Amino acid sequence: MAIIERPSTTQEVVAPATPSSSLGALKRPVATTGWKSWLFTVDHKKLGIMYSAAALFFFIVGGLEAVLIRLQLAAPNGKVLNADLYNQMFTMHATTMVFLFVMPMAAGLANYFIPLQIGARDVAFPRINAFSFWAFLFGGLFLNMSWFLGGAADGGWFMYAPNSGPIYSPSHGIDFWILGLQITGIASLAGAVNLITTVLNMRAPGMKLMRMPIFTWMQLVVQFLLLFAVPVITVALFLLSFQRNFDATFFDVAAGADPLLWQHLFWIFGHPEVYILILPSFGVISEVIPVFSRKPLFGYPFVVFSGAAIGFVGWGVWAHHMFASGLGPVSVAVFSIATMAIAVPTGVKVVNWTMTLWGGKLEFTAAMKFAVGLIVLFTIGGLSGVTHSVAPSDTQQTDTYYIVAHFHYVLFGGAIFGLFSGFYYWWPKVFGKMLNEKLGSWNFWMMVIGMNMTFGPMHILGLQGQPRRMYQWTEARAGEGFFNLGFWNAFASVGSLVLTTGVLLFLINIVITARNGKVAPLDPWNARSLEWMTTNPPKEHNFDSIPTVSHLDEFFHRKYQEDANGQMVQVKTAEQVMKELEDNADAHIHMPSPSYWPIVLAAGLPVITFGLIYSIPIGIVGGIIVLFGAYGWSIEPGTAPDDDFDPPTTTKDVVHVG
Amino acid sequence: MRRRIIGALAGVTTTLFLAGCATNAPQDTWQPKGPNAQKIDNLQKPVFAVAGIIGVIVTVAIIVAVIKFRDKGQPIPHQSHGNPALEITLTIIPALILTVVGVFTFRTVFDLAKTSDTEMIINVTGQQWWWEYDYPVQNEFGITQPIITSGQLVIPAGTKVLLRQTSRDVIHSYWIPALNGKRDAVPGRVHLNRIEADKPGIYAGQCTEFCGLSHANMRMEAVALSKEDFAKWVANQLKPYTPPAENTLAKEGETVFMNQCIRCHQVNGMKRADGTPVIAAPDENVVSGAAPNLSHLMTRNTFAGATFDLLNKSCREDVWNADSESFGAKYLTGVTEDCLNQSDLRGWLRNAPAMKPMYANPALLASTGGKYRGMPNLGLTESDIEKLVAYLLTLK
Amino acid sequence: MTANTHADEHGALHTSTGLSNNKLGMWLFLGSECLLFGGLISTYMLYRGRVGAGPRPSQVFDIPFTSVSSFVLLMSSLTMVLAVSAAHKGDDRNTYLWITVTALLGATFVGGQVYEFTAFYNEGMGFTTSLFSSSFYVLTGFHGVHVTVGIIMLMSIVGIMKRSKVPGSKAETVEMIGLYWHFVDIVWIIIFTLIYLIPA
Repeated sequence: MAIIERPSTTQEVVAPATPSSSLGALKRPVATTGWKSWLFTVDHKKLGIMYSAAALFFFIVGGLEAVLIRLQLAAPNGKVLNADLYNQMFTMHATTMVFLFVMPMAAGLANYFIPLQIGARDVAFPRINAFSFWAFLFGGLFLNMSWFLGGAADGGWFMYAPNSGPIYSPSHGIDFWILGLQITGIASLAGAVNLITTVLNMRAPGMKLMRMPIFTWMQLVVQFLLLFAVPVITVALFLLSFQRNFDATFFDVAAGADPLLWQHLFWIFGHPEVYILILPSFGVISEVIPVFSRKPLFGYPFVVFSGAAIGFVGWGVWAHHMFASGLGPVSVAVFSIATMAIAVPTGVKVVNWTMTLWGGKLEFTAAMKFAVGLIVLFTIGGLSGVTHSVAPSDTQQTDTYYIVAHFHYVLFGGAIFGLFSGFYYWWPKVFGKMLNEKLGSWNFWMMVIGMNMTFGPMHILGLQGQPRRMYQWTEARAGEGFFNLGFWNAFASVGSLVLTTGVLLFLINIVITARNGKVAPLDPWNARSLEWMTTNPPKEHNFDSIPTVSHLDEFFHRKYQEDANGQMVQVKTAEQVMKELEDNADAHIHMPSPSYWPIVLAAGLPVITFGLIYSIPIGIVGGIIVLFGAYGWSIEPGTAPDDDFDPPTTTKDVVHVG
Repeated sequence: MRRRIIGALAGVTTTLFLAGCATNAPQDTWQPKGPNAQKIDNLQKPVFAVAGIIGVIVTVAIIVAVIKFRDKGQPIPHQSHGNPALEITLTIIPALILTVVGVFTFRTVFDLAKTSDTEMIINVTGQQWWWEYDYPVQNEFGITQPIITSGQLVIPAGTKVLLRQTSRDVIHSYWIPALNGKRDAVPGRVHLNRIEADKPGIYAGQCTEFCGLSHANMRMEAVALSKEDFAKWVANQLKPYTPPAENTLAKEGETVFMNQCIRCHQVNGMKRADGTPVIAAPDENVVSGAAPNLSHLMTRNTFAGATFDLLNKSCREDVWNADSESFGAKYLTGVTEDCLNQSDLRGWLRNAPAMKPMYANPALLASTGGKYRGMPNLGLTESDIEKLVAYLLTLK
Repeated sequence: MTANTHADEHGALHTSTGLSNNKLGMWLFLGSECLLFGGLISTYMLYRGRVGAGPRPSQVFDIPFTSVSSFVLLMSSLTMVLAVSAAHKGDDRNTYLWITVTALLGATFVGGQVYEFTAFYNEGMGFTTSLFSSSFYVLTGFHGVHVTVGIIMLMSIVGIMKRSKVPGSKAETVEMIGLYWHFVDIVWIIIFTLIYLIPA
């Protein structure tokens, strides 16, 4: 169907009149409102919203798991959870936060903003995009089903063999974990193929690679990392699956297996994964900081290349997770040096953000506060990372709370602060309403204080010898004095409640904004990049006419120019820039049409995996659903044929998208 | 001025950090008590300092920028796209710092992997959820027969000990922070780990590779004795078994032991009434195939994976707080009846899985063919427990 | 008119790279597949000497037989090229012909693999016999599944083409399946060399 939600004078509304049937039985969906318009949508913006909403749901789930963990550890010999439940809790907390929150949230932002930032009307494969989302959602729900079916996975998110084998973890938890991650892995892989193709192929005229917004650049690096990292974990998961369900012996030492194989496969995936989590947020704040500093990003090419360098070197450092595994001194030394090397491009980024602030005209909106917060908190996490790139020190620090502190500074202070910065920055773009800035400020400060209270003391806990993943700690090892480990454990637990309050304020802000938020002006932040050169929220076809790009920060350069004295002065308002685009609007834009098949295909996957665990016949049913979906998909054109649409009343060309 | 602010901030941060630490935390990684841990400490302290200074510089730079350049109505700044010379300088400086760190790291890694200077070897085996120590015959230390013990690793102070680590089930990690960094014990592989204590004393540790249900309850302690005291300890471990005197409570306890405990736990030299040796068969009952050898149990201070003390609170503190001169004598006293931690030991004998989570519910052992991981509830009567405690106290 | 949305007369879209979305997407997917097979091959190389009580590779492998079936698979790449070239010329008859031949050759290869697996099983090399056997079956099995998926795609495209239901360009669809087919073929050459030809 073609969609023009806010027709301008030069355009006409073209709606599909007679939906063609795709399989004889199923008429193509045509709904543009109501739940069906979401279920069968292939619109990258609707999918982006659904990705983010689902990720937010899993963030709350993972957050509650974290609070339970902290309540258990608030006092010695905690009794809130038993050992079994605690082990499930920390396994699922990490799994949820990594695979079901940060990754899909970043994917949600990528989905929504990459096409807008590069001046495209949708992604390269809209139906694959829809499939990715549904596969992620069903995979995530499948993973969490295990809570109600005999207990969740209890082997830690790293799932080291042989502890994850059938003897040592007999419940179905790990089976759910393996198969759930396989499904979300398919989603990530499909998403990566889709987004890379979109970025490489669908840029607006003049949008050279080195004119792309940094967010898109960082996402491009991330999608390449996913493309190559996901298959490695897929192999590892298959091997573990075959061991657990079909009696293979890949990690069974008695049969001569080497348990370190799992560690290598896991971390070859797992370390790039770390950059998969952090780079999107680097991208977000590289957008936010220039906007609110009123300056271009300092050293754009350095930020791009350092991002690519991080992505590249990220493949050569996996064994730093294994310094205590007994690799031998040569490997340890080499990986230690490689790990130090990766600190350099990371440092480049911090320098560039700081230099962007320097000499700017800084406006501290909530988005900017989170962005600046990220620089400081990430720097702390990065520097503690450098201390354990030194392999001998790492043998003292690994598997202690010092590491927990490190990666929470990097992932909470880094990845999550970046995402929150993005929420405040892009909310008006997506929903047309401004999040409350005052509440946003409270949200920021509660989260900064809460996160430092929670994770700051963990540096001390770790350096003073408290290991991770212990369901209880004992006073016998807590030391003396008022500020002993008992004090800091209690302190961190209080901090986690402050942090929770901070997150709660964000949820409240969403509700308040939805009810009576201020309507967003066209260009609320005086922004710089292409996604702001359209309405809030954007029309379904994104741009009335595709802009031709001649600058990095195209939007800014259309609004501002240097005067004779070298001063930047405004030459056009955002409305004027918009008007120019509308004046050249394309008529008859045929957008990719909604489809049943992505959700059908994705729905088959958890049925197959459920069958693998409980009963093969159910799995066969799932297989049939998948084949049915694939067949329907393959004979359905991405965009409904032209004769489905009302014939154009003018002689202008029909523009096809996707 | 700015330099003074930075200096002051660095000072305040360091002081706050140090003041915020516990005193005498038993597993403090910043208090090395042996040359291997000392090497790590010498390497890491400067790295922490450099990292701290860089952290302060970045933070101060950001705070200054935030204050100085906040929007006070200044015009839109010049759209400068960067300064490559500055970028390159700021790339090279950290690279140089890290190169220096790298060189020292390289050296320390190889130093800590050295094995040619080993003076003593101990085999260390991890299993869910305790450590076994096996001393191969080493005549120069008076170890004329293998010694097998668990929970507490007894070593001579000032001696370069090489641990040969492995595991019988899942991956564990051996870590006595005061003596060295951690090293994983991986099934099917032998990993080497240098341990040396400068002075006699007791050094706490904890398994640091997640190893399943009771990972939190897999602790260990290294006990360093002077060379003379170590010789005494060895001699005592090699002392033959003395059965309890006839018609004592302890003798009845020995019978209970032979009926129940011997299924898994070996006591070297124990004989039945008919003179046949009593051999434990943990391989038939436990997944890992091993259970702690209880010969000379009461020379140790802890039990059940060093999770519980055999000494009551005051006696324990007496040993732990002893100075290095008096420590040896106190440790070698072992556990006397007055010092015994009656409540924990009895609780354990009454219902072990209630005190330490283990896979011991027979209904749930399908995946292991009925074998336990950990100790089951033996269903002993109170009078059996009474007798067993009396008997165990004789294992000195 | 805008470069990224406007269709030319062949129905293909102008793109920034000049490569069609479908083809670029397929190349990316195959790049990812390299890592999948990389992981499986590494596992096999690590475990191929660990035979336990089961047979050693040299005791079960029938190299002449596998060479023939490898040759059959190699030939299917040739017929695939002919199919793609016919599709580009718009010669439907020859396209169907060569696709069918390709699928048949592929099926012969898979049939050979099934026969080989059965023979190995009868010689005492089950899936769980040893680390060598498990990793062998997983690696070659994954490859076999890839060939099978290829065959299904080939047969489906013929069916769909005959009912004139191909969305988008026929030639490009055939070409994309061709890319996949050649990739699977190349992977086999690597697997065959590493597993069968280089002694453990």
